Amino acid sequence: MSIDGLFTPRSIAVYGASATDSSRLGNTLLENAASGGSDVLAVHPSADVIDGIQAVASLNRPVDLVLVSVPGHRVESAVADAAAAGAKTGIVLSSGFGETGEEGRGAQDRIAGIAGAAGMRLVGPNCMGVVSHLGDGRWLNGSYFWATPDTPGGLSFVSQSGAFGGMFFSHLRRSGLGLSRFLSVGNAADITATDVLGWLGEDPQTTAIGMFIEGIDDGRRFVEVARATAARKPVVVLKAGKMPAGAKAAASHTGSMAGNHEAVQAGLRRAGVIEAADSDSFFDAMDTAAVGLTGTVVRNIAIVTISGGPSVLAADTAERIGLTLPKLGNATMAQLRPLVPAFAALGNPFDLTPQCPADNFIPAIESVYADEAVEGIVAINCGLDIAQFGTGVARGVARTGKPTTSFVLDAPAVEAELAAAGVLRFASPERAVGALSLGIGE
Amino acid sequence: MKALNEWDSKQRLGDSLPRPAETLATSSAQAQEFAATVNGPIVAKASGVAHKTDAGLVRLGLGPTDVGDVWDDLAAAGDGTVLLAEQIDAELELIVGGYRDKSFGPLVTIGIGGIAAEIFSDIVAILAPPEDGEVAEAVSQLAGRRLLEGIRGGPPVDLAALGRIVEAVARLLCSDPAVAEIDCNPVMVRSGIPIVADALVVLNEQE
Repeated sequence: MSIDGLFTPRSIAVYGASATDSSRLGNTLLENAASGGSDVLAVHPSADVIDGIQAVASLNRPVDLVLVSVPGHRVESAVADAAAAGAKTGIVLSSGFGETGEEGRGAQDRIAGIAGAAGMRLVGPNCMGVVSHLGDGRWLNGSYFWATPDTPGGLSFVSQSGAFGGMFFSHLRRSGLGLSRFLSVGNAADITATDVLGWLGEDPQTTAIGMFIEGIDDGRRFVEVARATAARKPVVVLKAGKMPAGAKAAASHTGSMAGNHEAVQAGLRRAGVIEAADSDSFFDAMDTAAVGLTGTVVRNIAIVTISGGPSVLAADTAERIGLTLPKLGNATMAQLRPLVPAFAALGNPFDLTPQCPADNFIPAIESVYADEAVEGIVAINCGLDIAQFGTGVARGVARTGKPTTSFVLDAPAVEAELAAAGVLRFASPERAVGALSLGIGE
Repeated sequence: MKALNEWDSKQRLGDSLPRPAETLATSSAQAQEFAATVNGPIVAKASGVAHKTDAGLVRLGLGPTDVGDVWDDLAAAGDGTVLLAEQIDAELELIVGGYRDKSFGPLVTIGIGGIAAEIFSDIVAILAPPEDGEVAEAVSQLAGRRLLEGIRGGPPVDLAALGRIVEAVARLLCSDPAVAEIDCNPVMVRSGIPIVADALVVLNEQE
């Protein structure tokens, strides 16, 4: 059964909005769902209208998507009602299922069984829902989130944690990057993160995929799907729960030392996805994936700067992760010498020094870009807000297309130039270097 | 869980497993006969005893005439047989293992061995059976990878030979569902060539 209805529904029904108390989560959900302009109705035992939206006592049409936000003990009847009406997909946001223990697990299996028998695909329970760009600036917000992204783009994100979805949205707002799809899979009674990954791999609107994973139950199938997907578009995975739960009873050294994370990493390596070590590098990797940097292999980089200390930190990071800082070519140095102060060393990192005449920044930085030994550039500028520094980088990018990342602090004019040129800014010199190396992995 | 003895474990892992010159002797005379064929020191191990090193049942640095002296002790402590092997003078110890993950199925691990192994836990896993290039890729992920690139001017570890050990472990794990865990520990590296000095195959209870 197709799960298209989760991301591109033409009709939606919402269970769980209150007729008397608009502050309920179910009312937030109804309002969010109605805000996207899809055909939305509420299902409620007695009300005819809720918050201005038509309500019915029992679903009477085969909608593409139902959103269920009723109390846990009423989920079963809501899912049965939707399944009987022929709903194609459903998302159960309500909690109180497998995450609570045996009894909840039983209830979860029952709702999955009811949906499955009717051919209705189910997301959740215990999740935050879906956000999806429907095209032409129209959005599906089938989630509890009240602040969702409004910039369309190619990034999609599937998460086993709803809260991490909030971190992702917050990052998108800061970075200005655009969203394609978001889905929180919760307890995955039916649809798993792997299913969603496969769908996103086929989704023409999605250009890069992020995944937040706590556990993978279907390891080999995940590897197969992730491998096929990663061959088409970058997939970045953040796995939480890396530490072993403690010593296990095992008869061999191997058995006692093996943690589940080694197995996960073995799977991620075979699949060819990018594994982020932590949330910072996950978001950095999503940024680079969004602008198409992850496919490029960059080993020889130049660091262009006016800030000594931060660029040394960047150089340290480059060495640690296996990047090379080649010596600039003789021709490059001959071009640079008259442009920068006599005391500026023509090394790599290349420090133009703050005393460099403003107009010389542009030809000097362009010369570094033109150097054949340099495959990628990291631009570092702490607080010297001379726009020409940014212009030099922007022109270098435009002329050579060489992958570039940056760390810019308190230099808004420089930042504006870089942003206009599509050059990503990162939160530290080390992260700017790390992001450039994602093409080769760490 | 049922642990096979070292000799049976190595038999299960197959003929392609690189091993030292060794034999399972059933008599002192046979042990001495084998010892006479080996150039250099010999190690004698009681058979069928778990944690034989900790129990003092591994005797190192034996000459051909010493073998008869340790026979009675080792044979009595174990199952009546004694495993004799050429003693490997290694520049590096590795551990190659196998186990099953609930989600990802059979996996082979490569790790740095020796006394620091449990402190650093420097292990990388590969989905079994391995694909081309995955052994080299896994080795490059080890924190101690430079140890395998040649120590103090010595030769690097022969990755093709290491790959044959990985494949032997993977083959047994993938072909026999009764096998729960496998240890090749230590894998002794001598002049770059890895040799499985000791092995342990653990079966599920059912068998």
